[in-house]
Formats: sequence, C-alpha cells, structure tokens
Amino acid sequence: MSDYPKFAVVGHPNKGKSSIVASLSLDKSIQIGNTPGTTQVKRGFPLKVDGKIVYELFDTPGFQRARRVFAWLQDHGDVSADKRVDVVREFVFKHKTNEQFKDEVELLEPILNGAGIIYVVDASKPYGAEYEIEMEILRWCGQPSMAILNLIGDEDYRDEWTRALGQYFRLVRTYNPMIARHIEHTQLLESMAQLKEDWTESIKKAISVLDELYDKKVEESLNIIVEYMVEVLSFVHKEKIKKEEASEKEKEDAKVTYRKKILSSEKKERRAIEKIWNHLDIEKKEISLELDRVGLFSKESASIFGLSQKELILTGASAGVVTGAGFDLITAGSTLLLGSLIGGVVGGVGAMFGFDNLYEVKVLGQKLGKRELSIGPMQNLNFPYVLLGRSLYHASMIAKRSHAERDNLELDNTSFTEKIMDAKNRKGLEKMHLKLRKAEEIEDEVLEEYRTLIKKSLLTLL
Amino acid sequence: MQKKSSNITLKSYLDLAQLLKKYKGKHEDNRLFALTQKSEELKLLSLWQEKNLYRINEELDSSKYLHYLTLLTSLFGIVLLVFGFFTGFALLSYSGTEPVNVIYLLLVMVGLPLFSMLLSLFSLFTGNRGANFFNHFSPLYYLEKIIDFLPFAKNINLSSLPFSATLSKWIFLQRLQLFSFLFALGLFSALVLTVISKDIAFAWSSTLEVNPISFQYMLGLLATPWQTFFPSAVPTLELVEISHYFRLGDKLDTTMVQNADKLGAWWKFLAMATLTYALVLRLLFWFMIRLGLNAQLKKELLALSGVKKLLKEFSTPFVSTQSVKQEKHLEVKEEASISASETLSDAYASLLAWNYAEKTLLLLQDHNKIKASNMAVVGGRNSFSQDQALVDGLKGKILLYVKAWEPPTMDFMDFLADILANKNVKVVEVCPLGTASGNYSSKKSDMEVWLKKLEQVDSEKLEVIDV
Repeated sequence: MSDYPKFAVVGHPNKGKSSIVASLSLDKSIQIGNTPGTTQVKRGFPLKVDGKIVYELFDTPGFQRARRVFAWLQDHGDVSADKRVDVVREFVFKHKTNEQFKDEVELLEPILNGAGIIYVVDASKPYGAEYEIEMEILRWCGQPSMAILNLIGDEDYRDEWTRALGQYFRLVRTYNPMIARHIEHTQLLESMAQLKEDWTESIKKAISVLDELYDKKVEESLNIIVEYMVEVLSFVHKEKIKKEEASEKEKEDAKVTYRKKILSSEKKERRAIEKIWNHLDIEKKEISLELDRVGLFSKESASIFGLSQKELILTGASAGVVTGAGFDLITAGSTLLLGSLIGGVVGGVGAMFGFDNLYEVKVLGQKLGKRELSIGPMQNLNFPYVLLGRSLYHASMIAKRSHAERDNLELDNTSFTEKIMDAKNRKGLEKMHLKLRKAEEIEDEVLEEYRTLIKKSLLTLL
Repeated sequence: MQKKSSNITLKSYLDLAQLLKKYKGKHEDNRLFALTQKSEELKLLSLWQEKNLYRINEELDSSKYLHYLTLLTSLFGIVLLVFGFFTGFALLSYSGTEPVNVIYLLLVMVGLPLFSMLLSLFSLFTGNRGANFFNHFSPLYYLEKIIDFLPFAKNINLSSLPFSATLSKWIFLQRLQLFSFLFALGLFSALVLTVISKDIAFAWSSTLEVNPISFQYMLGLLATPWQTFFPSAVPTLELVEISHYFRLGDKLDTTMVQNADKLGAWWKFLAMATLTYALVLRLLFWFMIRLGLNAQLKKELLALSGVKKLLKEFSTPFVSTQSVKQEKHLEVKEEASISASETLSDAYASLLAWNYAEKTLLLLQDHNKIKASNMAVVGGRNSFSQDQALVDGLKGKILLYVKAWEPPTMDFMDFLADILANKNVKVVEVCPLGTASGNYSSKKSDMEVWLKKLEQVDSEKLEVIDV
C-alpha cells in the first residue's frame, strides 16, 4: 500500500465534487457540468513534488443507487462494526463488472484502498434524509472522513447540514471551489491533515509546497508585469523615410505599427500571466474579447484604470515633473479622456484627435545618408497608469480565478485605480515612469523600488 | 554532497547562448536533471548545455568564432613575436663605433610595456566609452578593424554574437596582453641571442642633464624586484659613470675605451628588466585579466536570456497536480428534446413525493390544492420492499413530485421504470419542484437537467410538469 495520504471526493451527483477537485488540484481540464453523471470514472490527481506523490485526490462519480447498495450491505452485513468494511469490500468485489453499480464501485474503490473520505454536499439547498443512506455506506467503510459544505446557490442551509453531517463526519468545513483563494485552499488542506495522524506530515509538506508555488507564481507575475511596463513605456519605433521630411502616410503607418506593437505586448504579457496560473485556455472563452472592449486607447480604459486630471497633476507635481510642457500634456491627456480616441484600437484610422500628444514623432538626423522617423516613448502621463492598472487587474483576476470556474472572466471595474494606487504609491511609480518617458537608463535600485510598489499593489488585489 | 566546480569558457558561453535560443527544456526535465547532477549552478548550466547541445543542427557559433579568434591570434601572435625579435635586433645593432644606448632600450623594453599596461588598467577601470577611448591607443585595435574587412572574417557576424561591450573589452584586453607578451618575448630573445653572438658595448646618453648618481638611483629603483637575489644585475655607480656617453666628439670617450670590457655588463640589467617588466608582469596582467574575463563571462552567462528561468527550474521543486488518467468525456446535449407542460390536473389517483418528508408532502398538497385519493412519500429512507409494494398498488393517473435541485439518480430512474411498467398506471406526471423559499418554483437550469434525463425514458405514459 502507498505511504502517502489519499482522499476520495464523494457525494451525491452534481454537488460540486469535480469543482472541488479542480480547485484543489489547480487543474482546469476536469469536465464540470450540471448534468448528473458528468464524472463517469474515478480519476486520481496526485500532488507530485519532483515526481514523488505527496497526496492524491480522487474525483469520483456520484452515488446513483445508494439505497440498493445499502440494502445489499444490510442483507450481507449482520456483523460487528469492525467487520463492516469487509462487507463493503465484498460488495465491490462482487459487483465490479456489474453495470448497475459501476458508479458505486468506482467511488468505493479508492476508499477501500485507504483513501480518506471527503463528502461533498450543496449547502445552498435544504438537507434531505436521502443523504443519510450515502453517509451510512461511507460510515461502513471505516475510513477517516470529513464533509465539505459547498455553496453552489445563493441560499444558505449550512446550519441544518452541519447538524446532520456532524453525526457522521469528524470535521465539517465550508469550501466554495468557485471563489476559494489560496488561503482557503491551504485551510482546507490543514483540515484534511487532521483526519489521520499519519497524514499530517505529508499534508503539511503539501501546504508548504503549495505556498511556495503560489509565492513563486506571484513573483513570476510581478517580473512579467515589470518587464512589460519597462518594455512598453520605453518602446521607440523607428522607420526609414524616403525624403527629407516624413510624409503623412509614413507618419500614420509608423503610428499604427507603434500601437500594434503596444497591443501585441499586452497580449503577450497576458498570455504569460495566464500560463503561470494555468489558465491558458481562457482565451478560448473569448475573455480577450471581453477585455478588448476596454481598449487601451479608449476613453473607458482611461477612466477606469488611469488617473483623474487632479490625480495626474498631483502625481506629476509630487514627482517634480510638472513643467509647462507637462501641463500641456495633461491638458491633452484630459481632452483625450473626455472625448478623443473613441474606439481607437489597432487598425483605427490614423489621424485621431490627441494622438500626437501621446507619441512624439521625430525625424532623426542623417545616418549613412538615410533619414529615420521615430515614435516614442509614450509621453502621455496617464498612459503608464492605464497600462499598469489593466495589467494588475488582469493578473489579479487570473490569480484569483478558480480552476473550477468555467465561465468567461468578467471585469468588475469600479474604483479600481483608487484601490491600488494611493498618492505615495503614485509618486514612487512616477519616478520610474519619468525615466522611461525620457528613455533614461534605469538603475537597479529604481527598478527594484518600482517592483516593490507594483508588488504591494498586486498583493492588495489578491 | 560533493559539489563539482565549474569552468566557464567562451565556448561554453556561446554554446549556451545559442542553445537557449532554440531550446529551454521543460521544468520537469530540468529539475530532474538538476536533481541527478547535484552540482553548483554554473556547473549545472554547463552540464545541461553539454547534454542538450546536440539539439543545435547548424554549425556552432562557438566553432565559427573560436576558429576566427584562433586564426587571428595565431597570425598576430607570430607577427608580433617576429616583430619583437627584429625590433630587438634593430635596437641592439652595434657597429663597433657607437655604443647601444641603454635608455633607448629601456624605453622600448620597460617603458612601452608599462605604458601599455597602464592603458589596460585605465581601460579596465573605466566604463565602456572610456575603455573604447583607451583601446584606440593600441595598434591591435586597428589591426582587428582591418581584419574585419578581409574575406575570411565574413564567415562570422560578430555583431550577432551575445557579446556586450564590457565582455568585448575583456576579450580584447586579454588578447592585448598575450600579444604584448609575445612581442616582449621577441625582444628578450633578440637580447639574449645578440648578447651571446656579439660583444656589445652599452652606454647611456641623454640630452637632459641627468647626472650618473640620479640615473643610478633610478636604475636601482627599477631593479628593486631582483636586487636582493641577483645583485650583479643592478648597475653600479661605477658602471653608470664609465658608460656615460656624450655624443659630441668624433671618437669615444677615453674612459669608456679603457673600461670597454665592463660596458657589456649592462646586459644582465636589461635582461632582468625585460624579464620582470615586459614578461613576468605581463603574465601577471594576463592572468589578472583572465580572471576578470572569467568573472565577466560568468556574469553575462547568468544574464543570458533564459538562464534565469533555467536556474529557477533547477532549484524549484517540480509540482504537478494533474491526473495521468484521461477523462472519459461525457457528451452533453445543449437542450432537452422534450418539454414540460405547465398545468397540473385537479385530481390524481396517487400523489407521490420522491425523497420528501411526509410533512413536506402535506405542505405541497396544501400549496398546490391537488386532490388525490392516495398520498405517499417514496425513496428517501424507505426500503425497497416498501416502495415496491407501493408501486404494485398504483393505478390510474399518478403525480410524482421530485426535488428539482436534486438531479435524477439511477435509483429514481429505476423507481420510475417500475411505475411505468405497472399496467394499471395510465399516466405518470413527474413534477420537479423548487425549494419552499422559492415558492416551489423550479429553476430553468434544474428543469433542463430533469428533462434531459427523462427524455431517455421511452414511454408514452410519462409527462413532465413544470409549475
């Protein structure tokens, strides 16, 4: 027999067993549906560290013919309590190939092989006595057990469920796989560790590994956000031009390329964040389309993620950057926020109002007889905050997203800026933004300070 | 655990950079590799690169570059050695009428190397722009620029190689030390050979008013490194005085002629000065720069794109939570093909409530104002024999309440099949109900689940009611 803890997640059909396993195993490949019988066979989800299994979770089909099973057990089980597990074993052995009991056989097998029982119920629906048969069967198995109250709907019947479940299970805990964060995940594991003394060490190790993994993911996300910010804010696009001065077409073409590059960087950054948190297929759910509705250059995104005119002035002033030119930019920026660039995303037609205030278009001097057109870095004061706000928001939503979640990711965008950026934070961030706008060399300390500020903001959102 | 040491070379640096552009490995494989090797991180990188180098199908950048570098180094090395040798011969050329000026020799054999080392030091301790400025003083700089235009240098695109300005500076400086050493070796060899094959009279002469005492003092300072263990190689005041040479006059000074046998003694000093300042010190410089180059290589290797990730994967436990077993995917229909009617009849022969408590059944009956001659709860804690007896006694039109939020289990489906199999039963109306708090109205999604399941029952007696 294996020496690591195993847990079978069992229960009535459609009570969120697979969702709980998906959430705990961080695996979004599990099929989850409201059709009973979505899970047809048991599947083990081992938590492996360097190839060694620390614990294993089993997703199982729900009870389908619990009354018949229990009737069989009672017919064959006129034995003392210590022998009841043998009767269950006999049932499984005798019905292994019986199509009628395939679900029960699937769910009982891991338990008979030593798995602890995690019984899942939907506590948003009233308690029913029919569950007692299932609980009785599980009690006959004689394995350590706990119950999870999953709140699938809006109502709350946890009190009545707790009273009933308390008679059958050592522990009863609430866990909603759809909204559970890392902390709830580890708390549930801590409860599982209490089920059997022998399992404590393994589960504690798993908790520490998962904590480490989580921290690593946060750090990696931060690195990606910082790299992305530096890349985009300092990005300069250069293009050779044919004559002394750039033609309007050359300018417009260069602007479109510049914007394409920024949007493609954002797309790349999002993919990288989604990969870290194992949510890569989120695009298949057309989430990117949802997010694109709040385009980088639209007035909505600026009002949601950017700073208000007052905040911009304060930020600029506190960082010592508000010069006459700065005010011009702010004015241009606010004009932009109020009405310009509506619908301006990639492919938008060139000459949009306020566009030239975002990018500095320069014609560079001769280099080996060739002239170049240069665009960037982005001069708009609000742009870094729009960019950072969007990035942090996306990263936090992805990081918090349960692997049991199958719906599209939706933005809840109210008061987002205020939540992550206070005046002190903005001042620190602006120091870096200013350097990037001026295309200055970034010292390690400034970069580290910037990273720390972004980390602080990200952690606030997680 | 014994740690294996690492040795970063230009080859391993270039190979790793090229490999990482093409292949970075998976976390699981990289971690496993690190666990099996148990080495420190640089050694691990080197071993990882060796293990995966076969993945590069094209010619290695390192091969091309090192070939270019070796060719260049050999060519320049030989040229400078020969050049040093002939320079030495030229400097030591002695016609028998005019002695060889020691000061001139010292400028080339000691002054020039020291000046070049000083430039190297400036180059080392200044930024890339400063270093570039100081490197312009070296002929090697211009020679390499010229070489770049030659056909054989076209095979390699140096700008595509991952050499930062700092690393290029270290490589240049290291080669500069090597070439300077070879040049000095040429000089030294020329000195030794000339001394063996010719009888040379050395003297010293300067337009500046340098008196022999000061000159001897300066020479003494130069000879500090060897004066304790090789005192005969330190010019004495007497030697300095007798070899003081004045250009004016049509013949040699009489003192010099009288002491002609002693004038050759300078060679020991010159040999030791060349050996110490042009060769040994240069070797030390070369060694120091080699260490610096290694440190820079190590720094840049760790900064190569992909290395940080690779090292992280080496040191971070690989955690996997996925199942190895493929899921048996259930094809789910979007919508049920049957629909529910919305009206209940006024009266039924029997009213059954699946998995309900008896008192709830009474409440339901009161709520829906249904007349039924027979009412019973089924399922739940009932035994099979109880339910079976009940089913056997059914007849006419049956209303069967079920909890809409509880999906139909096979236990229910078996029960329903038993009722439908009863010939006395004419119609069975299954009515999924919501919770009491929702006024018993079922949710659309719950109804869908029931409809999809019940459509599998092939019986005309079955109807579904959604109130």
